[in-house]
Amino acid sequence: MTFNEKELVTGCKQRNRIAQKQLYDVFGGKLFAICLRYTKNRADAEDVLQDAFIKIYENIDSFRSDSPLEYWLRSVVVNTALNHLRQQKYLKELDDIDVHHNGLSDREFTLGNFQMQQLMEMIRELPPGCQTIFNLYAIEGYQHNEIAQMLGISEGTSKSQYSRARTLLQQKLNKEKRFDDGSVQHKQF
Amino acid sequence: MMDPSNINNFEDQWRKALQEACETPPPSVWEGIEARLDKEQEKVVPMWWQSPKVWYAAASIVALLLVGGGLWLSGIKTDSNSPQVAVTRKPAGVLESESAETAQHAPSVGESPNTEKVAAAGGPKTASIKAGQQEPIESRVEIAAARNGNANEERENTFAKTANSAIEQAGVRVGVDTQRPAAKYDSVNEVINSASVAVENVQPSEIAVVKAAGNSNAAGWEDQNKTISAQLLASLPYSDLDVYVQKRHVFFRPHLQIEEPVKKKKPKEYFAGVGVMPASFNPDVQLKEAPMAFSAQSVSQRRATTGSSEARASYAVQTQGGVRLSKHWSVETGISYLRGNSAYEGGGYVLNPYNSLSSNVLENALAGLNTAANSPAADKAAGFNNGALYIDVAKKVSNNYQYLQLPVQAGFTLNPDKKFSYSVLGGMMANFFLVNELESASGDIIRTTASDDIYRGTNWAATTGLRLNYKLSSNWAANLTGSYQKAVSSGFKSNQSLDSHPYLYGVSWSVRYSF
Repeated sequence: MTFNEKELVTGCKQRNRIAQKQLYDVFGGKLFAICLRYTKNRADAEDVLQDAFIKIYENIDSFRSDSPLEYWLRSVVVNTALNHLRQQKYLKELDDIDVHHNGLSDREFTLGNFQMQQLMEMIRELPPGCQTIFNLYAIEGYQHNEIAQMLGISEGTSKSQYSRARTLLQQKLNKEKRFDDGSVQHKQF
Repeated sequence: MMDPSNINNFEDQWRKALQEACETPPPSVWEGIEARLDKEQEKVVPMWWQSPKVWYAAASIVALLLVGGGLWLSGIKTDSNSPQVAVTRKPAGVLESESAETAQHAPSVGESPNTEKVAAAGGPKTASIKAGQQEPIESRVEIAAARNGNANEERENTFAKTANSAIEQAGVRVGVDTQRPAAKYDSVNEVINSASVAVENVQPSEIAVVKAAGNSNAAGWEDQNKTISAQLLASLPYSDLDVYVQKRHVFFRPHLQIEEPVKKKKPKEYFAGVGVMPASFNPDVQLKEAPMAFSAQSVSQRRATTGSSEARASYAVQTQGGVRLSKHWSVETGISYLRGNSAYEGGGYVLNPYNSLSSNVLENALAGLNTAANSPAADKAAGFNNGALYIDVAKKVSNNYQYLQLPVQAGFTLNPDKKFSYSVLGGMMANFFLVNELESASGDIIRTTASDDIYRGTNWAATTGLRLNYKLSSNWAANLTGSYQKAVSSGFKSNQSLDSHPYLYGVSWSVRYSF
């Protein structure tokens, strides 16, 4: 889809409904995927997306065109998702946890053969704190000190929660048997 | 521990897999967003409408329309000397469509050529009746415009068509009701066959009423009409009479109710008060140069010109009146009597050894201002040049003034409607000189009045003050006013050797009555 980002922003600043819809059409899918990653179910993800777009339209005037539009949109969505999680009190009690490394080697690690939905589902099955911190650190690329500041936790907590998330995810991945031909088979219990 | 090189691999994999992930949201999400955006816009619009400026503008437009309409209506009123009453009487049982038609024809009752024809054929009497001259009881005049069988059908158009098929030959009977609108109907047959009548009750215009009488044919038709009337009456609901009465007033234009809203004026609040002001008055008399007798005394020259005035206890009795112009602003004036006491210390005095006359510096200077024979200080003007002695004694002499004061002050009041309020005052004051009493070297009092032409009759002063106002009741208030007055012009007519710019500090206690 070809679109002129500048015109789109200008239209949204003028509260032009067509421009608003176009912005939604262009970025809605990617932003919805973010929402799905941060929430536990689709209904919550839809709520977050709605709230995020309302914020986007209301605060589009504060967007400066010197940074990429998508980056700004993603940050709005992430913040909205974090607010949502705070309201749900998912982030209330994040404590340091002892993480015992399971010794799994990542050297041959690849996700290439997993479906995106599968990976998404794995993340959503993480405990809320782990899920959020994994998203922020691994996918969004924030540093632990930034995450600690954003969530009001210590940097150590962020690290330990992330380690736990990582361990849990590895365990989940290991449940899937990977074959040399790249196909993935569910482990038989 | 985890190998750091692998951590990057782990995160990179996840990031690559999920950062560009995309999943189309369900349509309900956009619908929800759109609904919320609409709601937001609705919120914005009322905010705009809630702006008081918009309502002020609308209110002013409505007010302009009201005033304009009022003026327009009053303009119409002046065009005609009396109210116009259009009365439409529409009996039940007659087709409604006829009323419009008859309404068009009815005003031409008196002028219609067909009427003349009827009058000519039937030998009717024609009467001109003033509307106001009708007797209340027999106030209704019925016109029976009978159409006989020979009459052609065009006559029918003269007044009104009657759709009553029972009256094949019957003409139209037009009842011209010239009674006043408030008059009662006492009869039922008044209504009956009159199709529709419009009466323009304009004074002094006259309604020409054609009364068909004396003609046997007409009389016959009239009898016939009466019977028809009775038949129709039976079918009419009585309550319709009320409707007629109400309809009489539909087109009445009340001309007395229009002008009232225009004259809405907030009454001004006036106040009057009396008070007394203990004050410190200083005439500030300055001796510019030593008077003649003193300048001749070389020894005393310096000392004589260094005199100074000293304030003494003074007072003023004040009356004041004013008007409150707005919530905060007021203007006030009044009349005050000021007794300004002071002392003057001007060194010693000169003494003529030959005639024992003495004069202090101020009285000698005063004498120099006016050498007229009748001046109270005239005897001090001369006689000190040769051989006069200067007695170097520091002595204070009293120098008292009396003024009549007329202040004009504007006041700005803070907390105007509260129990305690504060006003800042400022304005001008005209001081009308009455009397000056100067104690002479010999102890006599030299009394100078306005007629002596030494002091200016009117001396202007600037005045300012701060007033504390305590409301005792809705009408009464107590005031405590600190004021300062300073003359802007010299008190002396000639300021060649003497100059005076009196000033005053005072605290006034007064009571005020508002009405």
